[in-house]
Order: sequence, then C-alpha cells, then structure tokens
Amino acid sequence: MVTREDIENIALLSKLFVDEKDLDSLTEEMQKIVAFADTINNAEVTTGEFDNINNLSNAFRKDEVRPSLPVEEILSNAPEQAEDHFLVRKRA
Amino acid sequence: MGQIKRIHDMLVSGEITCTELTKRFLEEIENSNKELNAYITVTPETALAQAAAVDEKLARGEEIGMLEGVPMTLKDNISTKGIPTTCASKILTGYKPIYDATVYELLLKEGVVMLGKTNMDEFAMGSSCETSYYGGSKNPHSLDHVAGGSSGGVASAVGANLAVYGLGSDTGGSIRQPASFCGIVGLKPTYGAVSRYGLIAYASSFDQIGPITHDVEDAAIVFDAIAKYDDRDSTSQGSEPTLNGLYDDIAGKRIGIANQYLDGVREDVKQAVLDAAKAYESMGAEIVYFELPELDFALPCYYILAMAEASSNLGRYDGIRYGYKAEHYNGTHDMICRTRSEGFGKEVQRRILMGTYVLSAGYYDAYYKKAVNLRGAIVEAFDRAFGCCDVILAPTAPVTAFKSGYLFGEETDPLEQYLSDICTVPVNTAGLPAVSIPCGEDSEGLPIGMQLIGKKFDEKTILNLAYKYEQSESKFKETKWGVKL
Amino acid sequence: MRYELVAGFETHVELQTATKIFCSCTTAFGGDPNTHCCPVCIGLPGTLPKLNEKVVEYAIMAGLATNCEIAEIAKMDRKNYCYPDLPKAYQISQYDKPLCEHGYIQLSNGRRIRILRIHIEEDAGKLIHNHGDTYVDYNRGGVPLIEIVTEPDFRSIDEAKEYVERLQQIMRYIGVSDCRMQEGSMRCDVNISVRPEGSDKLGTRTEIKNMNSITNIAKAMEYEFDRQVELIRSGGAVVQETLRYDDVTGTTSSMRSKEDAHDYRYFREPDLVTINVPRDRVEEIKSKLPELPEQKFARYTSEYEIPEKDAALLTKYRSIAEYFDKAIEGLKSPKTASNFIIGQIFRRLETEADKEAFDVKTSAVQLNELCKLLESGKLKNNLAKTALEKMLDSGDPVTKFVSESDMAGLDDATLTEYCQNAIAAMSAAVADYKSGKEKALMAVLGNVMKQSRGRADAAAVTAKLKELIG
Repeated sequence: MVTREDIENIALLSKLFVDEKDLDSLTEEMQKIVAFADTINNAEVTTGEFDNINNLSNAFRKDEVRPSLPVEEILSNAPEQAEDHFLVRKRA
Repeated sequence: MGQIKRIHDMLVSGEITCTELTKRFLEEIENSNKELNAYITVTPETALAQAAAVDEKLARGEEIGMLEGVPMTLKDNISTKGIPTTCASKILTGYKPIYDATVYELLLKEGVVMLGKTNMDEFAMGSSCETSYYGGSKNPHSLDHVAGGSSGGVASAVGANLAVYGLGSDTGGSIRQPASFCGIVGLKPTYGAVSRYGLIAYASSFDQIGPITHDVEDAAIVFDAIAKYDDRDSTSQGSEPTLNGLYDDIAGKRIGIANQYLDGVREDVKQAVLDAAKAYESMGAEIVYFELPELDFALPCYYILAMAEASSNLGRYDGIRYGYKAEHYNGTHDMICRTRSEGFGKEVQRRILMGTYVLSAGYYDAYYKKAVNLRGAIVEAFDRAFGCCDVILAPTAPVTAFKSGYLFGEETDPLEQYLSDICTVPVNTAGLPAVSIPCGEDSEGLPIGMQLIGKKFDEKTILNLAYKYEQSESKFKETKWGVKL
Repeated sequence: MRYELVAGFETHVELQTATKIFCSCTTAFGGDPNTHCCPVCIGLPGTLPKLNEKVVEYAIMAGLATNCEIAEIAKMDRKNYCYPDLPKAYQISQYDKPLCEHGYIQLSNGRRIRILRIHIEEDAGKLIHNHGDTYVDYNRGGVPLIEIVTEPDFRSIDEAKEYVERLQQIMRYIGVSDCRMQEGSMRCDVNISVRPEGSDKLGTRTEIKNMNSITNIAKAMEYEFDRQVELIRSGGAVVQETLRYDDVTGTTSSMRSKEDAHDYRYFREPDLVTINVPRDRVEEIKSKLPELPEQKFARYTSEYEIPEKDAALLTKYRSIAEYFDKAIEGLKSPKTASNFIIGQIFRRLETEADKEAFDVKTSAVQLNELCKLLESGKLKNNLAKTALEKMLDSGDPVTKFVSESDMAGLDDATLTEYCQNAIAAMSAAVADYKSGKEKALMAVLGNVMKQSRGRADAAAVTAKLKELIG
C-alpha cells in the first residue's frame, strides 16, 4: 500500500516538490495506479528471463575523433552561463 | 492516387509552383490554427526558403523526387536545428536544438518543405493531446472533440489539410490512436525500423517515429524514405521497402483476429472491425480467430516499463543546460526541484513518480523485473499467433474521439486514460509494426479506426492489406478545413 | 585489545582512447571549457549513445592483465542520480553483467588481492565552486573509465601502496591508461574498517574519497584507522559514511549531505545493445598483450640472474624493460647491459618522469653493440665506460669512439714500459704497497690505465705490477 511517506521519498529521488496540500490526493492517485500495476501478479510467466526487445549485439563505433561543436553552440540554450561555463548561482 | 503523388505531378507539370502551394498551406494554417490548435510553431521562413529551392530546381529543368516540395509537419518532439522544439512542455520553453533529428535530415535530403512543429501531449504522455502546455488540439471532424494523443497536433493538421503529411511518434499508440480519431492513416513502424536519434525520448524501448498521412500510399512513400539504418542509433536496423508491394494481390492472405481484442471495445467499433473482416473475405483473404490471453497483461506491463524508462529519460531536465529555470530558489537542489515541479505538467509528474517507484529498491523485483519478463511472454505470444496468420486485425481504439475535457474532468478516474490504450499498447510491447486506417464512423460522424498488426519488419504486408481495403471500401471522409487540391 | 585494518579499493582509471565512450569528441586533457563537447555528451534531449569499440578492447586488456575472467555476454545499465556534473541525470555503467570478473593482483608478500570486477562507464563533467556558485565544464563528461573493485583483502597500508603502484604499472604497461593520480586519470576510493585481531567478522566500513597521491592514500588510511580504533575504544560505533580526505589538515570528514539518496534504480540501458565477447576475440586480444612486469621480472631474475633490486628497476617502466630486452639480444651476459642502464644511464635521468620517458640518445641496438664488444674481450671495461659516456652525449655508435688499435689492447713490451713508468712516478704508493698496504697498488694501477688511455686490461696490469715490484 503506497503511503504518504513513500510519495515523499519518491518525490525526493525524482527531484520533484509535492505541496503538502496535494500530498493526500496524489497518494490516492498513486495508490490507484499501483493497484493497476499490481494486476501483473495475476500473470503466470513461464518463459525465462527476457533480454531486450531487439536481439542486436555489438553495435560499436570506431575510435576516431570528430570535431566537437563550438562552445557558443554548446552554451546556446543555457539559462545562465559565465566564462564559457554553465552557471548555477547559489540562489536567485 | 495518393496526395503525395498528386502534388508531385502538379509540381512537375507546372500546374502550381512549390512556393504557391506552400503559401496556400501557410494561409490556411493562419486561418484555422486558432480553432484547431494543431501547430505550436509555424515556420514560414524555413518553408518558403525550402519551397524556393524546389522551384529553382524545377526551373532548371531538373528532376525532383517524390517527396520533394511536399509540405509537411513534424511533431514537436522531433529535434529541428535552430527551430524551437518544446515537447509541448513549459520546461522546454525556448529550447532550440543544435542538431537535426536523423529523420529530418533524411527528409531534408529529399527536399521537403517543413511548415512547422505540431502539438502533442506533454512529452508524449497522454491520449488526447490535452496534457499539452499549449492546450489540446481539436478534431477536424468536430471541434468539440479531441484530435487524440499524443500526436494530436499532427493528426489534426493532416486531417484538416494543414499539411500533406506529418511525422509523429508512437510509444503506446500515439500515432495510431489520433489517426484513428481523425479518420486518417497512421503507421507505427517495427521497433528499430526508424532511427530515434533526435526524437526526444519518452520510453526508449517503445518509441518509434512514423508517418501520419491521408492515405496508405503516402504512408508507404514516407516510410520508405525514413526507415533507414542509422549508425547513431544502436537500436536501429532499417526495414524492407513497402511501396512496390502495395499493389500485390491479397487473395489467400490470412488475417487473424484475437478474441480478446474484441472484448472491451464499444459495440459500434467492434462491428466496424467485423465488417472490415467481411470486406477482406470478399477480397479473397482468409479470416482466422484465435486466443491471445496475454493481451490482458499488456497494459500494466507497458505502463510499468514505459513509466520506468520515462522517469529516467526525464531526469535531465534540471534548468542547467537548456529550457526553463525556476526564478527563485536557494541552493542547487532547491533550484532543480523547483524547476521541475514548475516546468512539468501534472500528468508528466505523475508518471515520473510512478516510474521512480517501480524502479526503487524494494519494488524493482515486484514491478520492473516482473514486467520485463512479462514483456518476453507477450513477444512470444504474438510470435505464436503469427504461426496461424500473416497479419492481425484489431480495433485501434476501444472508442471514438473523446469529448474535449472528458479525460480530465472532476469525476474522471486517472486510469481511464491508460485503459483507453488497451488496443494499441500490446503492439509497442511486442515491438511490432501496425497501421491504423479508417473503417467507419459512429453515430456522431466521428471516425472509427482499425489497425493491421504485422510481423517484425513486415510493414510491406500490412500496408498492402491496408491499401487494398482503402481502395475497395474508401472509408476516408474529407473535412471542411485547409488546402483543397 | 589490538585492532587490525581491513580495506578494499575501488579505482577509477581513465582509458586513453582517442574519443569518449559514447561519442566522437576528443578525450585530450585540458582544453578550454566546453570545447570538447557535442549533443551526445551534454545529454541534449533526443541524443543517443554509441559505444566506442576501443573502450571494450581496453577493458578486456585490463581484465586479462589482472587475471580476470572475461564475460561472454555483458550489458550496459543506467545508474540514476541527479547532480549538475551528470548531464543525463544517469550514468551509463555496468551493474550485474560487467565485462571482467574474479581476477587478482599478487603482492610481494605473497598475498593475493582479489579483483571482484572491472566494468566500463562514463565519467562526469567538472564542477568548479566559487562563492557558492557552481560552474560546470562538460569536457570530461563521457571520458571512458574502467572501475576496478577489489575484495576487502588488504591488511596493511604497505599492501595498499604496493597494490596501487602495481595497478598503475600494469595499466601503463598494457597502454590503456597513463594512470596519473595528480591529473585525475586514476582515482582511488578506499573502503576501510577495523576489527579485533583474530576476528573474522567485518566491521562497519567508511569510504574515503579524494586522495590524489599514494602518499595521501597512506596518510588517509592511517588517520582513518586510528580514528576508528579510537572511536571504538572510547565506546562509540563507526558510522557507515563517505568521507573526504583533506590533505592540508591530514584528516577525514563527512562528505555526503542528506539530500543524496542512495537508490540508483539500476536498469538495463535501452539505448544500447548487448556486448558479445566470443572466445576467439579474447584470444586475439590476449595475443596482442605485451609481456607484463611480473613476467619480465621473473624472466630477468631466473633466466638472466639479475638481482631482484635491479630487475625491479628495469621492469618498473615498459620503456626501460623494452630497451633492455632489445639491448640484450644475443648477449651471453645480460647483466652487463643491466649494469650500464642502472649505472651510467640512470645517472642522467633524474626524476621518475625522466626515467619513464627514457629519452636517451643511445639506442638499444647501440648499447647492444657495446656490450658485444665487451663480451668478446675486444673492449676493456674502463674503455667501455668512457665510450658509453661519449655515446650518451652524442648519440653516435661505439665505433666512433673506439678504434681498432684501442681494441687491440697492449702488447707486453708496452705494458711493461707503462708499468715501469708508473712505478717510477708513484714511489710513495709503491713503498706503501711493499709495506703491506694492498690497496696502494690501485693508485699505481690508475696511473698505468691513464697512460694506456684505458686500453690496458686491469688484471694484466695488476699481475705485471706485482711481478715488477716484487
């Protein structure tokens, strides 16, 4: 059963804030969704461990240098930058 | 004749210049977008420059390709260099990629005219286009109804003749369901057929880019152009070309119908599909009924895996390198949390939380690991099914287009949105190709869609069967909107 | 009650491939900030990783060189956590199917340090903190790493030091990394705990990070051992935590804040495919591995009877060992070449860096020629030594400095003449020798050698002098 505390921990891991006032309704919603997910327990899986959806292997790239992009392009979407670095100020 | 071929002929014969054609589309978009809300970003400069290049080629007497000069649109989760790509999310406001998605690069080589980026559910998470930060897109058949999701904007645009075709993405039905709701064609390729490089990821082992078009021939032409191996995408393989197989005779082809697929869909939808089966029989195909009990678990299996992958894929949105950043914060951790909580919509946040939950210590085995193994069982089940048939016929959605606001009303269960994906999701879970085509309409005149599901990399057969039905039954209904050729 | 130390190492080694692990940006050290980046390594939405084949090859080489089993099937996983230096908010690493497992490194005291696993992963970018603000440079983001994890087999700080040195040596020998701790291409984290001597239960361990030299590793381990013992002796309990070593104060202090949860939610990386390593590929890579330091050491000491101390010096750097191997081709006594290298040549190479670079004007072939002349008796030891000095100064072969006549040696008449000259010139020394001071003869001998410009054979001179003096 998903608890309020579970949601708080999950939110921390997900780097999301959950407002105190929303916590109860969110917990209820999550309980419904988890109960929905729980229905897989009714399935009997007799097949072995599934690997992945494509059976490809060894997709490799040669170790050859290609030019990197100019720093202006790399920083072009940065909300804040300084001295060719991405910047996160202490507070705003 | 498909729209693309018609336009190609018109351009080659000089009946219309590419610039004139493009201008007409841009005008219609201007007229109609307020009501339909199909486009997020219209790109007249880009489109007209591309059109001018095509006209120059024609003026020089050079040959042009089939897709050259045909105005199209891209769902706004496909990266376009220098052009805003938002995923219909506040958190990517103003984001301009510094590279083009592979599919766009391929189409640019073909000489396409890109009219703009179309609306979608935020980060492709939704079934009605209503989780979009920019509001939902409307159904060209009825403004009171949704276009569907998550490629709602593309479907709305194509259905309303505001683009000849578009590229959408399908993770759990997001190409097929809006195509079905809007009465047009939507193809989800086999997982790995089309490169995902440049597609902003929702669920990496489910996502595929595919065409949304007016007719099956157009879907084949576009698919053949984009289904190429891409060495930047380790999971890409390309696929077999489809256009030449479109016109093959279908007598003797075995079409399977899973009984479980017909349960739980609305009666009129079920009837439309059964009528289609009869039509196929009259064309010489054989109908085979079979059981696919694993379908019952496809939906929770899909949601566990998709949400898990999504929670990881969306971890990177933290306001440091691009996109929205919280205005007020104290410390890095605070900044990141505020940015994400303010930037992501409610549905996206719900799915991130759920995805984190099923991967977290203590729950990984019970949910994620179990779902992975269940996925294997579903893949095997479809494999077995194809032992008795060549394609599987099924409804695309259990219903027709929702009324606007229905899924997010006061009384609506958050699960209802997920349950409406019941027909499309098993296909993504098994990594198979499927095409949705219109097969009727309901009492309100809203289109009903059916899908043909094929074996891996067998887009050729499903498009062949789709084409034959389309030519024979012509269930496509034109709308009042957009450019009329 | 006495306590013993128990430790394990987790070492991150930067692989010296030309490009990053998942994109084709250069891995070159330095570079202006954010100039070695592309959409993939800054994790732009929609980008996908593509695995560098050399990274897999280098990891397998590292595994083979440390006696590991190489996996037939390996995969990549996502390790999810949020930090500004990690652009995707997950690190692509390997969780439960690493490339290499169950190897070991043998120490000189006989203990085997078991290597639990070696896996490949990507490095994160660099953060610079300035007055609380954070500056981020992603040049280092995506640089390929191997992580080498040992079992908690260490029982002393000396063992730890030796392990790190041997690991460095091996990685440099096989050419997968330059392992420079100061530059960050090798980073060691130590897990350390204490327990009563004789106990076989493991105590609570702490993890120490941020030690950028072997000296600091030793100091940190010493400090932490003492701290833990002191804590337990005073009735406290060791808390499992991550500590950083401060080399200014020589202390460890807690590193993590409570905002960092430790749930990495590992799951298979869906954007990458399985890595298959067929056995013939392993054999192919194995066949291209150079002889390892411990193999060379064994060969030098047992086959060539070179003293262990000298063998250690010769094998320390691959450059020297390979020089030596070439210089001894066809020699009856490799020890001759060894002496020249460790004596005269090393004298010109002051620092460890110089020794490793081994930028010496005389080629191994030229040294080989010199040694052959010495062995054949054509050249005398003293002459050989002076010749080598001139060779090292100029880069010219021995034949430039030693003529036929030099090599002919002295005939008896000339030898007698020189000896008589010396006896006459050095009467004091002769007198000393006659009165019983054996060593005084050396001075007289030196005089003869000087006259002969080194051409005389020392033994023959000694005999002649004794004969003449009486």
